[in-house]
Amino acid sequence: MRLALGKPPTVLQVEAANSYAYIATITNHFYITEQTSNILKRRTPIFAAPILADTRPLKKARYLRRWARRLTGFGFSSEDAIVLAYGSFGLDVESQRVGVDAIITTDIRLADRYNQRHSEIMNRFNDMITNLPEAYRQLKLPQVVTTATVLTLV
Amino acid sequence: MEKLTVDADGKITIPPEVIQKRGLHPGDELSLVESAEGLLVYHGGVDEKTSAWWNRLDQEQRLLAETEARPYESLSDGQRDSIWNEDADSIEAEAESDEIDLPTK
Repeated sequence: MRLALGKPPTVLQVEAANSYAYIATITNHFYITEQTSNILKRRTPIFAAPILADTRPLKKARYLRRWARRLTGFGFSSEDAIVLAYGSFGLDVESQRVGVDAIITTDIRLADRYNQRHSEIMNRFNDMITNLPEAYRQLKLPQVVTTATVLTLV
Repeated sequence: MEKLTVDADGKITIPPEVIQKRGLHPGDELSLVESAEGLLVYHGGVDEKTSAWWNRLDQEQRLLAETEARPYESLSDGQRDSIWNEDADSIEAEAESDEIDLPTK
């Protein structure tokens, strides 16, 4: 958007673009949520098409919302909890993969909260999936990594 | 990742190969950002992928992009957030009907 107006990108945009470029060198699996996909489809294709072409929307597997509700108990907003829950219960229909390795965010507070409380979250997650049907017992928690952290790996 | 050393005057020297790779010139402005991970140095400018996208657009598409971008840029952060929160997913149990069962192995 800023480029179209002849403005330079913001620092956060630079950070996100460079993180994206680095991650593209190690994986070709980029996912977005269904909600983000739906919003992008309503935007001008000029902006949305390149992102939609590079990413696949994840569907919600059973128990995604149940896990999101549990995550709100750790102080995450419902919007953040849904995204985190996609990390474990997001289904790529095409490949039948469930969950992602990492969620990349510019939200430092979200990543800090997740990482500081990771062992408690892990316990809660394990307690939950143990009581679910077998297909769900192999699910994992994603890593939550900031774009700035990604750049320290370059 | 490059390791830089701060000298007694608080200056750091960027290795020549990085200067060449990034196309830096004397007088170029870099941004130093303090983040939770430490200090990050940014060189402004547009990344390769975004540049390639922009260069592929014809004049008509660029005008369309500008027309779309202008009102978006004038929105407040709150107004932008509300666009990205449209149709936000509910986490309530009543909304679970769209969830898909994983196949049993």
